[in-house]
Amino acid sequence: MAVSFILNGKSQTVEVSPAMPLLWVLRDTLNLTGTKFGCGIAMCGACTVHINGEATRSCITPISAVAGKKVTTIEGLSTEHSHPVQRAWIEVDVPQCGYCQSGQIMAAAALLAKTPRPSDAEIDEGMSGNLCRCGTYLRIRQAIHEATKLRDGPGVKVFSKPTGRRNPVDEGAKVASNGLAMEITAGGVE
Amino acid sequence: MTIAVPKLDRRDFLKSGAAGAVGLVIGFYLPGSRAVAELAPVAPGASALNAWIRIASDESVTIVIDKSEMGQGIITSLSMLAAEELECDWKKIRWEFAPADKAYFNTIFGMQGTGGSMSIRASWKPMSQAGASAREMLIAAAAQKWGVDKTACRVENGAVINTVTKARASYGSLADAAAKLPVPADVPLKDPKTYKLVGKATKRLDTPIKTNGRAEFGLDVRRPGMLHAVVARCPVFGGKVASFDATKAKGMPGVKSVIQTRPGWRSSPIIRGTRWKAAARSTSSGTKARMAA
Repeated sequence: MAVSFILNGKSQTVEVSPAMPLLWVLRDTLNLTGTKFGCGIAMCGACTVHINGEATRSCITPISAVAGKKVTTIEGLSTEHSHPVQRAWIEVDVPQCGYCQSGQIMAAAALLAKTPRPSDAEIDEGMSGNLCRCGTYLRIRQAIHEATKLRDGPGVKVFSKPTGRRNPVDEGAKVASNGLAMEITAGGVE
Repeated sequence: MTIAVPKLDRRDFLKSGAAGAVGLVIGFYLPGSRAVAELAPVAPGASALNAWIRIASDESVTIVIDKSEMGQGIITSLSMLAAEELECDWKKIRWEFAPADKAYFNTIFGMQGTGGSMSIRASWKPMSQAGASAREMLIAAAAQKWGVDKTACRVENGAVINTVTKARASYGSLADAAAKLPVPADVPLKDPKTYKLVGKATKRLDTPIKTNGRAEFGLDVRRPGMLHAVVARCPVFGGKVASFDATKAKGMPGVKSVIQTRPGWRSSPIIRGTRWKAAARSTSSGTKARMAA
């Protein structure tokens, strides 16, 4: 079946089984390997791409569901790391092994598009579907705050940032769905 | 088609599997003691000063990384060790992964491998020596060029300085001549008190490619005619496969073959086919060879 969609700003037609997941169309048919296969069952977020701007798990999205839509992958997020999320990721040195990071970055970019200045709690909520076995969660949160600053330019106040407090339980912690205890307290005004 | 699985103690396999590793020679390979050209192709315009260091006419210094990057930051730390002794400009550092070769054997394991928090312990000396050896060869090339004694030369940020005339020759301009000189047998290493890089927080060299999808993981490697295999495991936790029927799997489009793994393992058939079909059979993310997750 021929399926046409907009991929990273350009029209694209593929001739594949309608049931083939978008992830494998990207990786195998179109050779865009930046989007990763993690679990194949939408549990880890490594395969996250944008479909019409929404963060979507490409591993369970059949290509037939993408017809006529706009798909953005990590390769199309920006040219030369110019997206504020990518710049912040480099600034904060977020990735360790890096395998989940394409998905993390796409999820973070979608989060910021909807919630321009998220609180720690909103970040934890918005990013909870993206797992990182290296445990880069705290830097991810820091980098998302950093991305808002880079996007808005100098002189913009950021009202929520990691507090660095040692005992989150005392500060009303919640356990995020990624299993990590995270603070939800808002930090001081910078 | 039903295939019976013979029993074999897993310990027997481990024994026979380990024999290969035990038989490998543990040895220290002096940097540059072998023809570096046979180790890995060197880019045009670049000169290999030893198995780990290449310097190009554009002043870029490429460090060959002989350990797997698993997120532990080894690309950056090995580069720091070499750059510290080399006294080059950190901004000009590039890196690439080593091919498989004895020159890159882990000095503790006696084989090319990464693990056990051993990389810095195993690589500290060879990487420092690689940097120091390249530095001394660059000094020798500069001394030859100026017709002075090596003692009249010092290095600074990617260049050799003539301490008498204050003349300066960049590493890039000296690399070709330096690569033709004999590798010094014994090179002085820096006093750790004079370290400029080692011991200082340094940005990872592999962050940019891990933020734009360009980092290559095992799953991303493409080879001509490459097939994909996944392991179908015994459906009972802790169980062993008694038998399996491959008829249905073999009839699926894209599936080339179903084979049995080593007898006695708790998994049995391997299904080979396209990536999608292979992936659909397993929740395993597969092996990751170079960048390892």
